[in-house]
Amino acid sequence: MAIFLALQSPEVEVIGITTIFGNVYTTLATKNALHLLEIAGRTDIPVAEGSHVTITKGAKVRIADFVHGTDGLGNQNFPPPKGKQIEQSAADFLVQQANLFPGQVTVVALGPLTNIALAIQLDPGFSGKIGQIVILGGAFSVNGNVNPAAEANIFGDPDAADIVFTSGADILAMGLNVTHQVVLSAADRDKMAQSPGKFAQYLCKILDVYFDYHRDAYSTQGVYLHDPAVLLAAVNPSLVTCTEGVVRVQTNGITRGITIFDHTRKRFPGTNEWSNKPTVKVAVTVDAATIVKLVMERLMSS
Amino acid sequence: MFVSCCRSLLLLLALSWTAKESTLSNPTTPRLNAVLAVGFNRRNGKSTFLFSSPLLFKTRRKHNPKEMENDKQMPLSKREKVIIDTDPGIDDSMAILMAFQTPYLEVLGLTTIFGNVSTEDATRNALLLCEIAGRSDVSVVEGSDEPLKGGKPRLAEFIHGSDGMGNIFLSPPKGKKIDKSASEFLVDKVSESPGDISILALGPLTNLALAIKRDASFASKVKRIVVLGGAFFVSGNVTPAAEANIYGDPEAADVVFTSGANIDVIGINITTQVRLTDEDLSALRNSRGRHAKLLSDMCQFYRDWHVKSDGVYGIFLHDPVSFAALIKPEFFAFKKGVVRVETQGICVGHTLMDQGLKSWNTSNPWTGYSPISVAWTVDVQGILTFVNELLMKP
Repeated sequence: MAIFLALQSPEVEVIGITTIFGNVYTTLATKNALHLLEIAGRTDIPVAEGSHVTITKGAKVRIADFVHGTDGLGNQNFPPPKGKQIEQSAADFLVQQANLFPGQVTVVALGPLTNIALAIQLDPGFSGKIGQIVILGGAFSVNGNVNPAAEANIFGDPDAADIVFTSGADILAMGLNVTHQVVLSAADRDKMAQSPGKFAQYLCKILDVYFDYHRDAYSTQGVYLHDPAVLLAAVNPSLVTCTEGVVRVQTNGITRGITIFDHTRKRFPGTNEWSNKPTVKVAVTVDAATIVKLVMERLMSS
Repeated sequence: MFVSCCRSLLLLLALSWTAKESTLSNPTTPRLNAVLAVGFNRRNGKSTFLFSSPLLFKTRRKHNPKEMENDKQMPLSKREKVIIDTDPGIDDSMAILMAFQTPYLEVLGLTTIFGNVSTEDATRNALLLCEIAGRSDVSVVEGSDEPLKGGKPRLAEFIHGSDGMGNIFLSPPKGKKIDKSASEFLVDKVSESPGDISILALGPLTNLALAIKRDASFASKVKRIVVLGGAFFVSGNVTPAAEANIYGDPEAADVVFTSGANIDVIGINITTQVRLTDEDLSALRNSRGRHAKLLSDMCQFYRDWHVKSDGVYGIFLHDPVSFAALIKPEFFAFKKGVVRVETQGICVGHTLMDQGLKSWNTSNPWTGYSPISVAWTVDVQGILTFVNELLMKP
């Protein structure tokens, strides 16, 4: 949904899609990215495949196929894409683009942060050359969605997330505390289904699994628009307000994947793990109504 | 605030959950009334949603301002029996002296723990406080001098002074601690009258965890444990992740929170809302309060640290607020949820509560434990009035 939204947003030019495990395995994420670009008639956009394992080479990655369907696209079993990914890895592609267009490339990071952490390790100048990194991830002062402590994208690769959050890059993080406010209702979905918009039609088909999951897990009749909200906030920063502080990610223990944001004016005794680390921006309010309206408008006018 | 809301609330449904299922199926489950309250606050015109399934708020009697005057007549048999586990400590000292001043409580003993000072110094200060209050009859029992996992405990002498009482250096006490360990004392007392004794835990939870390890039925025999500790969905005060009491012994805190005991926990998300300002402190100094001068002298050092650390011209009432929760629960709203404590990594000491907003599709470290009550809102003005009255009581 966020990918279609990006393609429908005149403010931005999509220069590539890099893939990562999370909702599905990386290989399938690549296939799905190619498939979506073919549906959109935008096979000119390169797809670079990302890491299959976490930054610590953990091969047993957590996959949320119970949320998104086994194919990641609501169990529609679309035919395989005709196109292929580029030869470059996601991390190489990110580094290359940051060097080609210093300060001009925004990364909208919608999954675990492995590729971006790899890019930072590959090129120490990456965090200075990349534009803004807008991250869907974390649960700031609220419960997580994988377990009470952790949000799914950060839980997917906590070590990578900690590298990215403390890299010094210009980062805006949007956690569950804001994305849970952006809800597409069943009525909104029905309205989209009535529209002739190509993307609206396509998405309404694949949304059933996602609605079912939300009904079972949260007892709600709507779905959270996590990724679309982040994409639109990247396009139009006025849709969120944020505060600035240091974010660290716990990488072990029962709260593995928790994001702790130090933004108070309190002076802690001595130094701690948050001391002297670069700050990031964390979204604290979101204009949910405008985001839902924009999502629907842009998808229905396709 | 909550109290005023309560009065204007429309109670839609009250489910009595006290009788069969909870007590029969699990004898350790605290007795609760679940109240579904969807309300409208007349004062500010906002609707207030206080409850959504499966969260439970404890019901409580209404606070009656007249009650204070009738307190004098409270017979000893009606008083709440309490053991205070403490690391005095300036705000601990306030709470302990208040406990001796209130007619609601019968203080059975003070058990000591490291935290604000070493356990040894905490014992000395506890003995001093009993003598100052003219209550040398109260048992003082020394607790563990190190956290469960061993090692040197973290002490906060830079907050409470090297004597733990704001560097006022009182002469040593005449009394002696009794010859028992704190955990032994806790187990013995609670076993003597099961279901009758509450514990006010104002420091790291080592002694309580040791009592639970000593006697498997301790958790079900203790009436209620009111814990000052944790930072729920806010920053800590030792690190951004952790609050001092829990940080002092995270393993012990996790043992206590998951023990199945009837626990009310008051975190710094609540206690930092309740402050004595410089004006309040000078009013206290000029009052006829029995311990006004001593407390004012003690608070000077503490107050100066608050200015440096938090930019607060006054003091947070961490321990007095928790003390208030023991006898005035009507000043609080509580939310129920399983609480676990992180014992590893950069977030060591972090308290994380499962609010129960989502049904998890797999089990996780919070699964299967009994929920405890986490203080969610506080009637700041109500507590301040209550605290000031006790502090200024001749």
